[in-house]
Amino acid sequence: MMKRKAEHINDLGLNNKSRQRRAFIIRLIIGILFISPLVLGFIFSFVSNRQLNMLPTFEKVINNLTFDNYRWVFKTIPILTYIKNSLIMCAISISVQLILSSFSAYAFAFFDFPFKNLVFNMIVAAMMIPGAVTTVANYLLVQEIGLMNTYLGMSVLFFVSGTSIFMMRQYYLTIPKELKESSVIDGCSDMLFLLKIVMPMSVPVYAALAIRQFISVYNAFIWPLLVATNQKMHTVQIGMAMIVDSEQMNFGYILAGAISSIVVPLFAFLFGQKYLISGIAKGAIKG
Amino acid sequence: MDVQTALASQKPKHKKVKPLPYFLLAPVVILLLVFTFYPFFRNIYLTFFVTNSLGEPGAYVGFRNYVRVFTDPSFAKIMKATFRFAILIGVGTLSLAMFFAYLCIQKTKGSIIYQTMFTLPMALASVPIGAIARYLFSKYGLINALSGLDIAWLSTKETAIYCVALVTVWSNVGTSFLFLLVGFRNVSEELVESSMIDGASKFQRFFKIYLPIASPQVFFVVFLNILNSFQAYAIIRVLVGSGPSQTTNVLIYALYTNALVNSRFETACVYSLILFALIFTVTRIQLLLEKKVVHYQ
Repeated sequence: MMKRKAEHINDLGLNNKSRQRRAFIIRLIIGILFISPLVLGFIFSFVSNRQLNMLPTFEKVINNLTFDNYRWVFKTIPILTYIKNSLIMCAISISVQLILSSFSAYAFAFFDFPFKNLVFNMIVAAMMIPGAVTTVANYLLVQEIGLMNTYLGMSVLFFVSGTSIFMMRQYYLTIPKELKESSVIDGCSDMLFLLKIVMPMSVPVYAALAIRQFISVYNAFIWPLLVATNQKMHTVQIGMAMIVDSEQMNFGYILAGAISSIVVPLFAFLFGQKYLISGIAKGAIKG
Repeated sequence: MDVQTALASQKPKHKKVKPLPYFLLAPVVILLLVFTFYPFFRNIYLTFFVTNSLGEPGAYVGFRNYVRVFTDPSFAKIMKATFRFAILIGVGTLSLAMFFAYLCIQKTKGSIIYQTMFTLPMALASVPIGAIARYLFSKYGLINALSGLDIAWLSTKETAIYCVALVTVWSNVGTSFLFLLVGFRNVSEELVESSMIDGASKFQRFFKIYLPIASPQVFFVVFLNILNSFQAYAIIRVLVGSGPSQTTNVLIYALYTNALVNSRFETACVYSLILFALIFTVTRIQLLLEKKVVHYQ
């Protein structure tokens, strides 16, 4: 019994360096195994389709690396236009969503007015209706009001996010009311207080919401597919799906297309990771 | 408390209602009315008609669309696939996320490296992920090459749904991992240390300490993934479509196929409502169970 206890105290071993290093290496290997599909997809995007359609040996892969797949993708598919379209869609959705969320959150956090609860409950009720349920009817609607093949039509469904409004409201509630009162006494109007004081204070929340929104809008598939029927308006995801759907099933092209379409959000993730994770962690505490 | 007193002190001063909050909220209210509530009710309305290829209502048919959908032999298959997929995603994501979160409890110097690896697929879209997976699972793909098997993974009835689930779990595990990590890190170090001194095994420590303390997060993650699985379309679409003998023809896939491929909008609208009912029911169950199962500290 004593011996066991001693062992476990040793388990705590804070200065046990070799044990720590071993733990680190094991975790690193698990991490590498986990992302290996992506790494392999990257490597094989430089292998010709002919090689990919046989069981490739290691030497053959190494000796036959080629840029042909990428050349084909950039030549046949206007992928840069598609990336541009995706980025414009993201820019519109993110800016409108952040502004509207700020406005609503400010109204909820700083004002008392008739029908406040009604509007609040309306937003809660809207959150109960998932986007997938209204997609078909929205598609018919967007056709009727002439928003097909427009950036506005592609982004309009991303303008309002209940989560965004509530996160922002939560943050605004932490801003002391006295701050507003004293500004008002100093002659600052309600709107000016929002624009000059509240919004600049919200930059960290904006960053967390913007990065999350960027990844989800850039990666959105079904809605842009429905709205952007004209090839000039296609997004990256639509272009990618078309490569996969094409008759020949050329895996070299498919992989090169996949990797090209992944680059932008991957870097966005790596640079914005801190904000993205802090946003999720905040949600997790509430459970 | 602060808010209460602040509001109380504000009220008597300004009796008249300011117009500003209404202006601030107007765009959101209008957008919700136009793009959430109106389509929702229009969707219900359309289920009682036969629609043409543009989605315009024609003849009124009462509940016949519902009867047709529910008596169609493929409906049972669709629901079976939907539930099977939900269970696979729920169990798969939770297990993997728990494993990863358990590995990352201690913050060390380099832990950000493998933590980033575990969350990385979050950034990747379903379409390219599906595209890469399609190669890996192909006849001459790496999975067959490494395992020495020769299986048509994506077109075999027994394997297709597992492949789709595996890829979906891979792409979704990051968020659940982060949630659970927050939960596991709520466990105080003193508690862990005293359990070590008492001689609790790693196994016991996990089930008796970490899991109960992280129970709100575990609970949330289970439902999050089940609800997400009902709306996961792109990976299925790129990887297998409706799959061999419709084994991956889940509700959301049937919904979009009816709308986009067959232009049967009234059928798609019936499926939309079934999807809504399903998500609504699961959310209700979540709220009810939350009170009973989860003990918040």
